[in-house]
Amino acid sequence: MALSRRAFLTAVPLVAGAYACSSQLRTGARSAGERTLDHAVVAGKPTVLVCMPDTRQTREVLAGLKDELAGHFSLVAVEVEGEDATGGIARAMAEQKPACVVLMNNPTVLAYARYQATSGLANFPPAIVVMTSFLDRRPAALADATGISYEVPLITVVTNLRKLMSSPVERVGVIRRSPLHAFVSRQAELARREQISVVEQPVSLEPNAAELKYALRELKQRCDAIWILNDDRLLSDRLIENGWLPGLNERPYRPAIVGVASLVSPAQSFGTFAVLPDHTALGVQTANRIFDLADEGFRLGAGDDVDLPLSTTTTIDLVQARERFALRRDALEQVDHILE
Amino acid sequence: MSIPRRTRAPLRALAAIAAAGLVSRVAEARSLKLLVFLHVALKQRAFESELQAALPGLEVRAVGRLGDFERGLEDGQDAVMSLPPVLASHGLTSKLQGMRGGSSDEKYSLVGAGVVPDPARVSAVGALDLLGHDGTNAFVWDLLGARPKVERVTKFEDLLPLLQMQKVDGILLPARLVPELQNASRLPLAGRELSKLVKLPAVASVGGGGADALAQIARIPAKVSKTLGVDAWR
Repeated sequence: MALSRRAFLTAVPLVAGAYACSSQLRTGARSAGERTLDHAVVAGKPTVLVCMPDTRQTREVLAGLKDELAGHFSLVAVEVEGEDATGGIARAMAEQKPACVVLMNNPTVLAYARYQATSGLANFPPAIVVMTSFLDRRPAALADATGISYEVPLITVVTNLRKLMSSPVERVGVIRRSPLHAFVSRQAELARREQISVVEQPVSLEPNAAELKYALRELKQRCDAIWILNDDRLLSDRLIENGWLPGLNERPYRPAIVGVASLVSPAQSFGTFAVLPDHTALGVQTANRIFDLADEGFRLGAGDDVDLPLSTTTTIDLVQARERFALRRDALEQVDHILE
Repeated sequence: MSIPRRTRAPLRALAAIAAAGLVSRVAEARSLKLLVFLHVALKQRAFESELQAALPGLEVRAVGRLGDFERGLEDGQDAVMSLPPVLASHGLTSKLQGMRGGSSDEKYSLVGAGVVPDPARVSAVGALDLLGHDGTNAFVWDLLGARPKVERVTKFEDLLPLLQMQKVDGILLPARLVPELQNASRLPLAGRELSKLVKLPAVASVGGGGADALAQIARIPAKVSKTLGVDAWR
């Protein structure tokens, strides 16, 4: 039996833009604080200090990182979360004297920025920021930092979608508020390399359900697929229930691509397809940045820009996809998770 | 013709014993473990399912990351399938070699977007991570005859984003996979086949059931072998 919209909303933890940053994603409840999560010290090897909350996703990134760095670097991972996060970072920095720091999620970056501002030090080891939302240039709040952005690029999203759909995917529609205009423009520029055109449908800063539904109806007339941004203002319970769900579930149907796995569910047709960062591979990618930094004497150069995530995992709502769209014969060979 | 009542019970017992024996043999056969570390043009989930369906007598585990491969080896296996350089780097000897068109080697291509990359002039190259940081660097440098920066990825489909995002000048992959790459992209992909060859996938026996596992793999259906880039085993 299909879930009601309200039941779907209750069942789906909508975390949108903060999906990787929230302590809701922790694997188990425990008191916040400071804890060493990994300690693999190799004599004579430079130390990489990882500051992170303890979630399933951050653990996956750590696993990829650890596999790659083993034997080449010492690796110490500390949990920094809660009120004394900055103090925890300061203690770890003083004890470990790292050659390089990895910072996972928005609150950790904020705590590290406070550490830099209050430490009285003139120089800091290079830091690599991962799992923070909408990071697309070197973080201005930090000295000596670069990173890997967390949003899966549109070009990757559509390349994946094209492997599944029988019908052509040429124009992708996106509903966006003005703060995300620059982000969408950069994504559109990159996507042009794969002959993807982006149709933007602006909405107000605080749209109501009627505005969203109207925008969706307009957009569906002009595009082959809908790309739903991880913008928490657009993914409130109210807008999902009264805007997105009725808008997406009326004809003409268009495949909806989301960036949150929980928005794909056969119980309620919302996202047709989710494309998410592969967290273990993100750890490998982070390790590659560390190897590059080591080659440069752990100094960040002008060209050390923020990278885009290379590896993704895909999830499909097969019930919705089969009901509404024609899939390629080998489509399911190209999907990591099939929900039906 | 009906079976006399007095013989029915023994028959049932015999059937039960036979069934138990069958179950036992199946269980025994199922306990043979095959670990596969190869990069193919389908998702690991689909690849593992395809192999498992083709090798019902084996418990197949397909992995795409070196770390998972090494942990899998520690779990105890009967047979291991990978590229010979990977097997050799773990002290394993190939006992069953994949062949295609009568050869045990295959060509690799260096593929760029827009221009055919020159192996001697590329500054950064994308490659599948077969042997970790140092080993994969050495593998790539040996194939190219040059020492560019190597961007390692863990899945075949992650090679294309390196070109899309202009992170590298070229990507290195088995020449047989270039059409798969072209099917997935509208970039003007252009490649050059390299002169050095790489051995096709092979299988090493690493446990008590290795010989039995190898015998089953040698009979793998052609369609599945094709996914591996192989048309015969020797």
